[in-house]
Amino acid sequence: MKGAVVRLLLLVVLLAIISRAQVLRADSGTPVLLAAGALLLCGLFAGKVAKGLGLPRLTGYLLVGVAVGPYALGFIPNAGVKGLELVKGLAVSLIALVAGTELRLGLIRRVGARVALLCAAVCGATFLVCFGATFALKPVLPFLADMTMPQALAVSALLSTVVVSFSPTVTIAIVQETRARGTFTEFLMALVIIGDLLVMVAFAVAAGLTKASFGGGLDVTGLLGGVGWELFGSVVVGMVLAVGMLVYMRGVNRELPLFLVGLCFAAAEGGTRLHLSPLLVSLAAGALIANLDEHAGERIHHAIQQAGLPVFALFFAAAGAGLKLDSLLTVGPAALLLVALRGAAIWFSCRRFAPVDDPRMRRYLWMGLISQAGVTFGLAALVSRTFPTFGPQVEVLIVAMITAHELVGPVLTRRALAASGEIRTDDVQGTA
Amino acid sequence: MQALLVFLSIAALSLLASSRALDPGRFPALARLAASGFLFVLLGILLGPSASGLLSERNLEELRPVMALGLGTAGVLLGLNLEPRLLRSLPRPVYLSAMAHSGTAFFFVALPLLVPLVFTTVRGWVGALGAAAMLGAAASLSSGHSAVLAYRAGRLDRARGLGVAVLTMLDDAVGLGVLALALMIGSADNVGEGLGLVCLALLLGVMCGALLAFLTHSLKDLAELTTVTLGGVALVGGAAAYLRVSPLLAGVACGATLAVVGGRVAERVARALGRVERPVFLVLVFLVGCSVHAREYWAWVLMPAFVGLRFLGKMVGGRLAGRLARSALVLPPRLGYALIAQGGLALCLVAEYGMLVPGVLARRVLDVVVMAAVVNELLAGQAFQYVVDPSKGVMASASADTKVAA
Repeated sequence: MKGAVVRLLLLVVLLAIISRAQVLRADSGTPVLLAAGALLLCGLFAGKVAKGLGLPRLTGYLLVGVAVGPYALGFIPNAGVKGLELVKGLAVSLIALVAGTELRLGLIRRVGARVALLCAAVCGATFLVCFGATFALKPVLPFLADMTMPQALAVSALLSTVVVSFSPTVTIAIVQETRARGTFTEFLMALVIIGDLLVMVAFAVAAGLTKASFGGGLDVTGLLGGVGWELFGSVVVGMVLAVGMLVYMRGVNRELPLFLVGLCFAAAEGGTRLHLSPLLVSLAAGALIANLDEHAGERIHHAIQQAGLPVFALFFAAAGAGLKLDSLLTVGPAALLLVALRGAAIWFSCRRFAPVDDPRMRRYLWMGLISQAGVTFGLAALVSRTFPTFGPQVEVLIVAMITAHELVGPVLTRRALAASGEIRTDDVQGTA
Repeated sequence: MQALLVFLSIAALSLLASSRALDPGRFPALARLAASGFLFVLLGILLGPSASGLLSERNLEELRPVMALGLGTAGVLLGLNLEPRLLRSLPRPVYLSAMAHSGTAFFFVALPLLVPLVFTTVRGWVGALGAAAMLGAAASLSSGHSAVLAYRAGRLDRARGLGVAVLTMLDDAVGLGVLALALMIGSADNVGEGLGLVCLALLLGVMCGALLAFLTHSLKDLAELTTVTLGGVALVGGAAAYLRVSPLLAGVACGATLAVVGGRVAERVARALGRVERPVFLVLVFLVGCSVHAREYWAWVLMPAFVGLRFLGKMVGGRLAGRLARSALVLPPRLGYALIAQGGLALCLVAEYGMLVPGVLARRVLDVVVMAAVVNELLAGQAFQYVVDPSKGVMASASADTKVAA
């Protein structure tokens, strides 16, 4: 670990020198590639340091991103971090593709119904608690204070829907990192994925109601069409991608990691343009491949593990660099209250509704549901764009919550997996 | 979206290039262009702002980081080839010979083309001098890939093939030296500031190279090594692009430092980088193609003159080089014909010049060199037949070239 610390410090010193040189230079060029290189290298070595300290690598990636990013030391300009959006989409697609290969038909049959029920219970309870708290904070929250009662109710529901969301990206990345395997891990992964689908539907409904409360009218057909296109369209496109991948693997069968990176890149970029969910597209593709050809699914799993390290390190370091620490200061008390209530609601609903046959579920499952990342960011940005009058303030509040969740979530997820006994022994000891 | 378009275009063309549709027997010129990557230049021209307009100037501006990554990667790979042990072992006649063939082509092109450049610019003779020097530098470069492919395919003695390869490797130094000079003249308000910027690029490269050597020193895992290598290349290219200095020169300094201080690490880094070299190169040449202004008539006027003068320069320079290196290298009798292919570094030089030096002249240099490079690549296929044993046949050689390149 000492070597990794020294390397990380040297990297930070080099970044400081480059940053200083830029101040002296009158005109500067594009910082995107610098951000990519710096975050990749810093992320990799910070991941090693974090692992040495018994933390998930992912926490190292995030923390170093925060440290060298525009809101702390400022070695990487904001424009550079924003320019890495493409990498974020790619990482989400790759992670979802791997997760999809885990979704075998047998597993869905075995735990599908129980997961769906628990998911509905957890999401419902969390929604109710956050909804009540947000509405109760109406006089304190500036964006709610001047609203009418129906408007305040609708906006509280919208905010709470976003706050409910989990992070499949973080969960799957931690599972990948720790190579955890077993019923607890399967249950957790299925829960966060189904929770994500549930939140997507609920968000569309809440957004429609909010629009109606502000006088925009309730367009039920448009609402259903939008949700249907995002869900079913994504699945159909994912299936087409799966067929493409299988044809490639059987016909060409060369440079699979490179091909998968390219395809996921296309899925992420194209999916966003077509208003599909890139996560669901890749998830459906991975699931179909794994169920049609088990061997192909394993090969994809292996190939992404090869290509995944740089993408994941860069993705999470960039996510850390994008965390607005200043927003945590401005809306801190309200955000922290919601963070605490959300955590308590998740803990309570897991203790109350998780399957009784496996005591680990009731004790540790809640820890795996705290993380929030890409999906929540995306929904917060959507609120900001769709409701320009109050959306930006809601976004600040949600981003502040994500900041807190991103810092503690990965640690808790790893702890849950470790406590369940499904992490490989060497990883638990932090020696690998 | 434009990035997706680039990706899809390149993926489609890569599949086409590796498929049987491009049979060297049926389309030898096309197969040669596909194997060397120059087909992507043509695709770039077609999709770029000056032809179909699918990619706009703004799109290209947004893709600048990708260009910087390509230039940085090319630079690091070039620098890694500057192996001190090999360079020390080469006798003086080899250096003289390389200087002869590249220097002759440089002067054959730069001096005559200086005249039209001076008369068609408002930037004065200093700007024209820099542009003419860049044309000369691009003309001085040759690619040794035909010779290497020929000896691997058994159509040329190994010694002769390697001789040509060594000469073409050394001419890279001339090209890079002239680039540094041209950037000193053109990239800043005065030569002193330009010199400072070139020094900053080199210093940045040296620092990144030393750091990369240290970072990769004890890495054993291949995935980690590849990640650190990619990160290092992105860091050096990105830092140079951010500070608006040359990513190519910074990359060369980084690679050379790594080769000097890295020992065995340099070999491992080169291997790791070799895995992404081809895709990065293809994207780079595609973007360079996009930057061409195909409707610029002056470029079309200058391009035939560039190709003709360079051909003459290589013929004369090749003869001179053959005489100078007689005692040290085994070279084919008609060496000049083996030096016609221009290679990718010429594109990197003019792309860099175009990025850092504002104005019409830099754009014109890029247009001329990129179009001439495609023509030279096509000419090289025919010209190399005069170097190899004619009894082996044209068809077989083209086929072998493509196979080995694939």
